[in-house]
Amino acid sequence: MREESGKGKILDGFAQDPPSVAFPPATHPSSHITMASTLNMNGEDPVERPQQIRDIIGGLERYNPQAAEVLEAYLQQQCEEKFTDCNANRALLKLYQLNPDRIKDEIVTNVLVKTMTQFPSPQFDLALHLLSPSYSNPGPGSSSDLAEAVAKLRTLNSHLEGARYDHFWATLESDDIYADLTTDIKGFEEIIRVKIAQLISLAFREINISVLESYLGLRSEAEVKTFVTETCGWKVGDDGIVHIPKNSENEAKKTEIREDVSIDMFSRVIKRSWEENA
Amino acid sequence: MSAFQQGMAPIRAMEDDSDVEEEALVADYQEQVQYGQDDDLDGLDQAALAQAADDLQARLLQAAQPLDYQATLEAKFSSYDNYCSLFHYILNSEGPVDLEPPSYYWAWDVIDEFIYQFNTFSTYRARIARQGNNEEEAQLLKENPNTWGCYSVLNVLYSLIQKSQIQEQLQATKRGEDAALVAGPYGSKALYKMLGYFSIIGLLRVHCLLGDFSLALKTLDDIELNKKAMFARVMAAHFTTYYYVGFSYMMMRRYADALRMFSHILIYVSRTKNFQKNAQYDNINKKSDQMLALIAICVAFQPTRLDDTIHTALREKYGEQLLKLQRGGPESLPVFEELFRTACPKFISPVPPNFDAPESNIDPIEHHLSIFMEEVKTNMFNPTIKSYLRLYTTMDLKKLAGFLDVKPEELRSILFVNKQRNKQIRWNEGALLEGEWVNTSDLDYALQGDLIHISEAKMGRKLVDWYLRNLSRTYA
Repeated sequence: MREESGKGKILDGFAQDPPSVAFPPATHPSSHITMASTLNMNGEDPVERPQQIRDIIGGLERYNPQAAEVLEAYLQQQCEEKFTDCNANRALLKLYQLNPDRIKDEIVTNVLVKTMTQFPSPQFDLALHLLSPSYSNPGPGSSSDLAEAVAKLRTLNSHLEGARYDHFWATLESDDIYADLTTDIKGFEEIIRVKIAQLISLAFREINISVLESYLGLRSEAEVKTFVTETCGWKVGDDGIVHIPKNSENEAKKTEIREDVSIDMFSRVIKRSWEENA
Repeated sequence: MSAFQQGMAPIRAMEDDSDVEEEALVADYQEQVQYGQDDDLDGLDQAALAQAADDLQARLLQAAQPLDYQATLEAKFSSYDNYCSLFHYILNSEGPVDLEPPSYYWAWDVIDEFIYQFNTFSTYRARIARQGNNEEEAQLLKENPNTWGCYSVLNVLYSLIQKSQIQEQLQATKRGEDAALVAGPYGSKALYKMLGYFSIIGLLRVHCLLGDFSLALKTLDDIELNKKAMFARVMAAHFTTYYYVGFSYMMMRRYADALRMFSHILIYVSRTKNFQKNAQYDNINKKSDQMLALIAICVAFQPTRLDDTIHTALREKYGEQLLKLQRGGPESLPVFEELFRTACPKFISPVPPNFDAPESNIDPIEHHLSIFMEEVKTNMFNPTIKSYLRLYTTMDLKKLAGFLDVKPEELRSILFVNKQRNKQIRWNEGALLEGEWVNTSDLDYALQGDLIHISEAKMGRKLVDWYLRNLSRTYA
């Protein structure tokens, strides 16, 4: 073996004592989801992120293999408290990418399921890019449990990204493996359902209750009625038409893009005229 | 050697919007080209002066030299060792070493070459493992998993950034303070400052090569992308930075931002084209073509009015492909794939391949491509949908489905996707990752049951420009 002259000892930050794994409870536990949460929060940098995690992903500690334990525990917290920190989870996948011996299958799939709840967004893809090709595109004869699970999740995610929500629920039901993969994420189905409802409200003014039933993955019109009136605050008409309140997105109003005029644009003219008069 | 340095170093404070600056950059670039030719001569002079100092200077120059394309594995190993010992010397000596960088662009060349060799080595190693027909080299590579290891490369770049306190310096400059006050003993030396600075650009590149696109952009938090930035003074650095930033944006589905990056640099290149008459020229040409291909992809995702220069170049180079992309549908998929392959960076895997199971090693390009194509497929009907919707103010879903020959449920999904993708984060100010959600399409619609209500945003007249022009004409 040859000697590695500079390797590994240039910087101290890479090898440190393992940080403690204990977490203070998040300051804003979002234990229930409301319709109020907007699409703008795509789980990139949630307010729930504790200082310890901020320090890890913001500095060189993110390369310390031992930090994986902390990030894993943090993922666990996310699963239980129903918030998502895609940025921190990517730091974890990155550690796995650099230290394949540390990979824990169920952590990887939990990260993917968590990012999936952020649809429509590039979050799932960004996580996938960090996996080794052998899990996301296994070569012939080299498949593994993880590779199989990743393939399943990709299918599921493609239905969400493609807004084929009815297919999503059907796929979820089609195989027991999905129940296993999503079991750690508390309220997974409910999170997805609320998100779909939000997206519907941004595109529809009225929608037929039977369409809603398939989109929301509910089993009867009665269930749909309860869900849309209680969770979403929508009104169901006698004719089976659900009325969705107006918002800036479902109106499709004619707009005219007008020029923003600010005083700064005229500063030179004003300055000159003032100087010439002075 | 110091005279060499002084000729280049002063950083001018200039007006942001002046052409003077652009001309200065061009002049600067010409200087670089000329100095480049004098490199060897200068090295010889030094040799006559002081043997010991020359040794080091020679090593500095050596580090910036490209490794021969057909270098043997041995040469690649020893090149790695040379880098390690050079960086070890620079970073771990007692206090900062007393060396002047041989030229203004030397630091860029070193970091560039360092990463380039890392990149090609990783690609080579993966290929040997995949092909599985070169026992001898496979064995050697297997025994030395840490040579050109990902951790070592990241380690060097991060260490150079930390030692030079370049981030603190850049932050101070941004606040309008004197960077020298926070530079520390290392960062106040040109050698460290330059190496640190270009290591940031180097990190952008390495993260992108490893498929971590958001971290790549995050790396540039302290660097403002404008003509005053230090990298803009080294043509290759300028070019590389915009390519990787643009590519990362594209992979994050921020097509408007990606287009802004590619357009900026291609317009810049076209303006300075007459001065690129050396070896770099080929390289820049090749990268320009790649960026045109990426522009074609981005424009297909998000129709945008391009600058005339770029539009013409795009039509010349990829006219046929662009038409297919803009038409969308399944026929566009192979074109997306082809363009992505020609234009993407040479992705690498951060860990050594599995030499014992050749077929299990997938080229990382396939991996990233397959993820990207998923999004392409999700969006492939958007162009068709848009072209139909433009024709109506209201439309029945079933009727439109009939026109398009799809099921009403499928059409509903397509409408959904198209509407969702019309919202995009676009950079406005601040760090590269920041931005606001904006509507990127002039077409909007909403569904009332099966009835589609369509509205198109109209551009109002732009009057301020007209008014100002006429004002100045009247008062001239």
